[in-house]
Amino acid sequence: MSYIKIDQNKCKSCYLCIDACPYKLIKKSNNTGTTGELTVEFSDTENKCIGCAQCAIVCPDIAIVEVNRE
Amino acid sequence: MQVYSIPNSIKKDSKFTFCKGCDHGVAIKIIAEIIDELNLRENTVAISSSGCSVLLYDFLDIDCLEAPHGRACAVATGVKRAHRAKGEEKFVFTYQGDGDFASIGLGESMHSALRGENITAICINNTNYGMTGGQMGPTSIMGQLTTTSPLGRNKEYHGFPIKTAEQIALCEGTKFSARVALYDVKNILKAKKTIKKAFECQLKNKGFSFVEILSSCPTNWKLSAQDSHKKIAEELTKIYPLDIFKDTIDD
Repeated sequence: MSYIKIDQNKCKSCYLCIDACPYKLIKKSNNTGTTGELTVEFSDTENKCIGCAQCAIVCPDIAIVEVNRE
Repeated sequence: MQVYSIPNSIKKDSKFTFCKGCDHGVAIKIIAEIIDELNLRENTVAISSSGCSVLLYDFLDIDCLEAPHGRACAVATGVKRAHRAKGEEKFVFTYQGDGDFASIGLGESMHSALRGENITAICINNTNYGMTGGQMGPTSIMGQLTTTSPLGRNKEYHGFPIKTAEQIALCEGTKFSARVALYDVKNILKAKKTIKKAFECQLKNKGFSFVEILSSCPTNWKLSAQDSHKKIAEELTKIYPLDIFKDTIDD
């Protein structure tokens, strides 16, 4: 199962990763981040993540710290 | 299998202090990845300039030197030549903004290129002076609203913007000059490949290599991160075409 790890303390809520994910697996979370806006979270209940790392490539704040591919 | 992790050349537990959505983070990340891939970490001296680009040494775990405003290429020349005189070959690159490289330090930058100094210069072009509040820079496009051109840049009063990568390509000492952007995954990967080529130019002792990176400035453009990227893709790339303008590394 492929998955990513997001560091909530580093996320600045630019939401570029939401647009980059081909399967739309990244959503806004309920946590307020350092910029006062909602951070993002990864939810993959149907095992759709392919570990393409596009979210990590576009993240300008190295908040996506790990991408693991099956 | 882990396919992505934070590059080793980025300091542990560092957190980028740029505005949200700023492409500086992506630029620093890909530079760190290239330093890791080419195994240059112990042998590199980075020269940072004034402006948002100065923050480079807060995040990269390599030797960095801060140059006075605009003088990064001159300091890089000194570092390169002083080490060479001692018999050491250091990898030296500068990381500058457009105001630093193409306006305040145009003399230093241009003459480093004309001398064919064996250094690499990276210029982040976000079409304004970002750190000081979005004043008009040398690369501000025609009609662009900034704090010092509230009615838009016009040719009668302000003149035309400078196309840095094309200008540097005209210098005979330049071996490699290119312009890249960071607005989507495809372009980020392309930018990484281009910067790697510029770094290899120096490693092969060929001469001056230069990469201009079109970057967003969401705070001063007063746009969201997504809209800034859209502006680069639709507007800026028409004025500043993405291309390799000179590549004579193998000649």
